[in-house]
Amino acid sequence: MQQLIMRAVAVLYVVSIIAVNCRLNKNDYLVCMFIVFVLLSARCVSQAASKAEPAVEENEAVNPTFVNRNPRNLEQMSLAVKDRGWKTIWPHKEFYHRLVFSRTQHHVTAEVFSSSSLDPVLTCSTKEWALKRELPSTNCVAACQAVGEVLAQRCKQAGITRMVYRAIPWSYRSDAVQSFRKSMKDRGIILSEPRRKYIGT
Amino acid sequence: LAPGPLPNQDIDVKNLESLEKYHSYKRYFRQAQEAHNKPVWWHTYRKYVEKANPQVDIGFPLEQPNRTKQVKERKQVMKENKKNMELERAARLWEQTSGPHHIRRLAEHYGIYKDLFPNAFFLPIIPLKVHYGQNSSVHYGNILTPTEAETAPQISFEAEEGTLWTLLLTEHLLDGEAEYVHWMGNIPAGAVQSGDELCHYLPPFPPRGTGFHRYIFVLFKQNGPIDFRDNARPSPHSLEERTFKTVEWYKKHQEHMTPAGLAFFQSQWDASVTHTFHHTLMKEPVFEFIRPPVYHPPQVKFPHRQPLRYLDRYRDGQPHTYGIY
Repeated sequence: MQQLIMRAVAVLYVVSIIAVNCRLNKNDYLVCMFIVFVLLSARCVSQAASKAEPAVEENEAVNPTFVNRNPRNLEQMSLAVKDRGWKTIWPHKEFYHRLVFSRTQHHVTAEVFSSSSLDPVLTCSTKEWALKRELPSTNCVAACQAVGEVLAQRCKQAGITRMVYRAIPWSYRSDAVQSFRKSMKDRGIILSEPRRKYIGT
Repeated sequence: LAPGPLPNQDIDVKNLESLEKYHSYKRYFRQAQEAHNKPVWWHTYRKYVEKANPQVDIGFPLEQPNRTKQVKERKQVMKENKKNMELERAARLWEQTSGPHHIRRLAEHYGIYKDLFPNAFFLPIIPLKVHYGQNSSVHYGNILTPTEAETAPQISFEAEEGTLWTLLLTEHLLDGEAEYVHWMGNIPAGAVQSGDELCHYLPPFPPRGTGFHRYIFVLFKQNGPIDFRDNARPSPHSLEERTFKTVEWYKKHQEHMTPAGLAFFQSQWDASVTHTFHHTLMKEPVFEFIRPPVYHPPQVKFPHRQPLRYLDRYRDGQPHTYGIY
């Protein structure tokens, strides 16, 4: 600030000398003063900026490479690798998440598996007391529909909305499987997976 | 000479007619799945991939009532249900019965225990409800936008009178470092606003190109009032001061705190993230996905049935002449 004041005084002195020698009229003199003021203020600003830079640089120390540790991130960006090559057998393993629906004599179970885990990620079955209490019968079509609705809600809350569902061909046409599928789709779960993004896609 | 029994060793191949038949696809499929998951003595890819280290439970133990009594009561309720065929559906019991186990399974799937506490897990027995406004709420893996998460959320959980809680919001970023975005200590039962706010709420800022980040709410139950003064940060502070490691912080206060609740959501880049960067932190970084290099098997002196561009694949530094082949 002191330097600035010294400089301002020096410049004003020079300008005053010029004004006196060149006999500038009043308007020219004002214009000169204005230009000087602008230059000085610009100088001020640049000096202020240079002082504040160290604080900004602390925050800007960004690592050029960033590793996202979310194991689900690549799947959701459809960049993760799908297990290709099982085309000669059934069922195939080219998915990120798969849906399994099974009916036993007394209960109905629906599970969501991921490609890398043996244990299911999400389950919904009539064996759970929460569902068993509300249903009159645990192996009918209404039970399948209930299981579908509850599982769809849990999937949406968990962020898994796209999965692959290949039903056993001869049971696909039954009312139970159709009602389960319909309830899942009505609640917003999409039963197909996005195609993987290769180079150039 | 094999070190164990070979599969299908005990089946008499010469007398196949005498074998027991499955008679249905379902029975075969169930047995095939059990056989697939059984541990075996020969080398498999599953064994080759490193299994998780032995896990320790650091949460509260689950309180289970007497099982026989429970089963009797439930059977009675089922009988009454059968008489009454029209029933409405409500799944609020889930939170008390199988909710914690499901949330724990999902947290393992999202790698949350691995990142926050290595070699430890906990059962989130207390349901934690976090709401950003009326429409969006945080469950276990929800996808929310940073615009929805700009203001601090309303948090509610069931608590008895006189208990003290700590709430922590982290976003685990780099190897071994978490970044905490909002943190409150010594919360009396139920009223989150009256706790000491040790860190200002900073809205989530996933940089563009990095994909989905997880933001984790952890609720700890305190045995008594804890002094968090060495962890308190003043209101305007830079990113560096916000970094901390959950493991070390938890080890310091281990005896006075137990984790009891868990909720997490995911979010991606949004226009409001630029706003957050420019106003609070720094210039906005933009990232691009780096694909892993294409794998080629070790080079062989006489490659059988390979085209001439086989040599292109192993010439150092040169770009391939025909795509990835």
